[in-house]
Amino acid sequence: MSDKSTSRLRLLLGQLNPLGLPLRQKIGVLGLAFLIALPLLVSLPVVGQFVVLILPASSWELGLYNVAAALFFAMFAMSWDAVSGYTGEISFGHGLFFAVGGYTSAMLNMGHGFSPWISVLGGVLLAAIAGVMIGVPALRIEGPYLSLVTLVAPLILLQVFIFMSDIFGGEQGLGNPENLVGLGFVSNYFLALGLFVAIFTLLWALTRSNTGSILTAIREDEDAVSAAGLSKAKFKIFAFVLSGAIGGLAGAAYVHTPVGSPTPSELMSVIVNVEVIIAAVLGGMGTIVGAAVGGLFVAMLPDYLNLVEFTVPVIGKSISSMSFFLFAIVTLFLLNIFPGGVLRWGIALGRRATGRDGGDEGMAADGGQSPEDAGTNPVAQTMERYQEYYDNMFGGDDE
Amino acid sequence: MVNLSVISTIIVQAAMISALYALIAIGFTLIFGVGGVLNLAHGATITMGAFSAYYAGQFGLGVPGAVLASVTIPALFAGVLYLGMVKRLEDEPIMVMITTLVVSVVIEQAIVVFEGTTSRALPPLIQGQFSIAGSTFQNLLGAMFVVSWLLIGLLFLFVNYTKTGKGILAVSMSHKGASLVGIKSSRINLITWIIAGAFAGIAGLFLGSWLTADFAMGQAQLVLSFSIVVVGGIGSIRGSVIGAYLIGFLEIATTNLVSSSLQGLAPLVVLVVVLLVKPEGLFGREFTE
Repeated sequence: MSDKSTSRLRLLLGQLNPLGLPLRQKIGVLGLAFLIALPLLVSLPVVGQFVVLILPASSWELGLYNVAAALFFAMFAMSWDAVSGYTGEISFGHGLFFAVGGYTSAMLNMGHGFSPWISVLGGVLLAAIAGVMIGVPALRIEGPYLSLVTLVAPLILLQVFIFMSDIFGGEQGLGNPENLVGLGFVSNYFLALGLFVAIFTLLWALTRSNTGSILTAIREDEDAVSAAGLSKAKFKIFAFVLSGAIGGLAGAAYVHTPVGSPTPSELMSVIVNVEVIIAAVLGGMGTIVGAAVGGLFVAMLPDYLNLVEFTVPVIGKSISSMSFFLFAIVTLFLLNIFPGGVLRWGIALGRRATGRDGGDEGMAADGGQSPEDAGTNPVAQTMERYQEYYDNMFGGDDE
Repeated sequence: MVNLSVISTIIVQAAMISALYALIAIGFTLIFGVGGVLNLAHGATITMGAFSAYYAGQFGLGVPGAVLASVTIPALFAGVLYLGMVKRLEDEPIMVMITTLVVSVVIEQAIVVFEGTTSRALPPLIQGQFSIAGSTFQNLLGAMFVVSWLLIGLLFLFVNYTKTGKGILAVSMSHKGASLVGIKSSRINLITWIIAGAFAGIAGLFLGSWLTADFAMGQAQLVLSFSIVVVGGIGSIRGSVIGAYLIGFLEIATTNLVSSSLQGLAPLVVLVVVLLVKPEGLFGREFTE
């Protein structure tokens, strides 16, 4: 099975030999191979017990469920990264797209009897339309104001859900729509993994293509994009629609698995919106890979903490009862240490260790520069962009 | 049917709620207007104010203790937050947004860990009722109205007639200009954060004793602050007060006249309309009183 994944990657990377890949991509391929082999490994006699130990649950069945849920969350994070990490238009309410996708699909399935495979497509379509609805105003409003609109959009949707709770189920959600592949642990795991790989491949290829370069250019300098004769409006809306559709796809598929259901708290709560941003920023904004890795980490860390049965002596609370609290503290800590994302830090560290610091010309526009390269990494660029808005807002000191 | 007494009830009620909203929003607008950063931990600071009062009550410090705790602890917290995290990120508004957002999650989850998710009742500040035009209202809400205007007045005097206050104005207008005339913007920012924290604490005290206190009470207040500040124009204290009254009246009118389940929707709709039609708000950009 790992052969299959490497051949897919090989196809993508041209005729490169997997052994000739840069170290960071080898690690990525190995990680993917591990994820693919995971259900197989847990059923092996001795190895299985060790694998269960590193899973974020007490049994392999639950472990696969939790990893599947984490894979869905990583898809959410990647969809955020596609628009916010690349164009620099920070969305504070990406849950809107997950919720539109998930609710549409669930309602088509439960209310109108469509097969979940068809209703998921309906969810994707409506989420793409939601992408247009956020993307078009985004052309007029800039920086922090856009963050406000995106922050508020899912809250309005939530209010509508609560107001019309006979249709949308209010805060309770919609119950359990039909599952795509039944209740099987392994089948649902592979559904999540397959979708994860598909979305990852699509976004990875797209962001390393010319389109990706244009999106990056929007983040770096909008005027330069216009000056080059490219319509920045078109590409911004494209990014929002793409991100919305992918977020909607992930949300729709998520509600049709046993790990998720169409409720506001799972798809669009403030916590979800925040966690998605945390995941992508922690992993490394504007890299897709960072969002994927960060998403898995953010989703699984509380699961791991839940397993710890240690009780903190002074306050008399167990670690598992405050897993989310500890998660937030760890996040705050990591944000302060690696403001550019763990991935960039890891790549820089790896380069230094392998003595290839500074080289690697053949790298695509994935923003994989070293973190010292201030001003050229996505976070710095996005900040510069926002700083400009602020300066304009406060009288433009520089003009 | 809508009759005169319903309308007068709505007006009085809305005036008092709006006074609370103004308290909620002023700290947020101060920080944005002066430091140019969005403090997404503002809601959590309000929650902290309510819980400080709750703990003061638990320790038997009575009403004065509760008031004192709800002012000093959030003010202190805001100051520490500024010095410890925001100060070195000042040129990076997004990191400030993300960091303060995570800080607010930490605070909310700390309350979940230590207090659980149930609502807590604060020590009653003022009991009894008063009546205007045939309708009765809680004395607490009346006090809220008075305190709110008192504090807004004091802030106005402070900003316009003291040296530090004029420094705040100067920094809000131009960081570079302020440093040219020898104003230390980091000190001014610290003062702004402390004032904002104190205002948020008082807002939390009133909000908590009017309704109840729970870990998530700040989230809605953060959104409300956003709406008010955007409607009034970012960075304008006068705009925030007017925005608070606009949204307060609109919300009370819709919940009373249309449907009570619409609570919370009015500010959001107003916010989106204003952002799309007049993004700079009613009193955009300038920070003057």
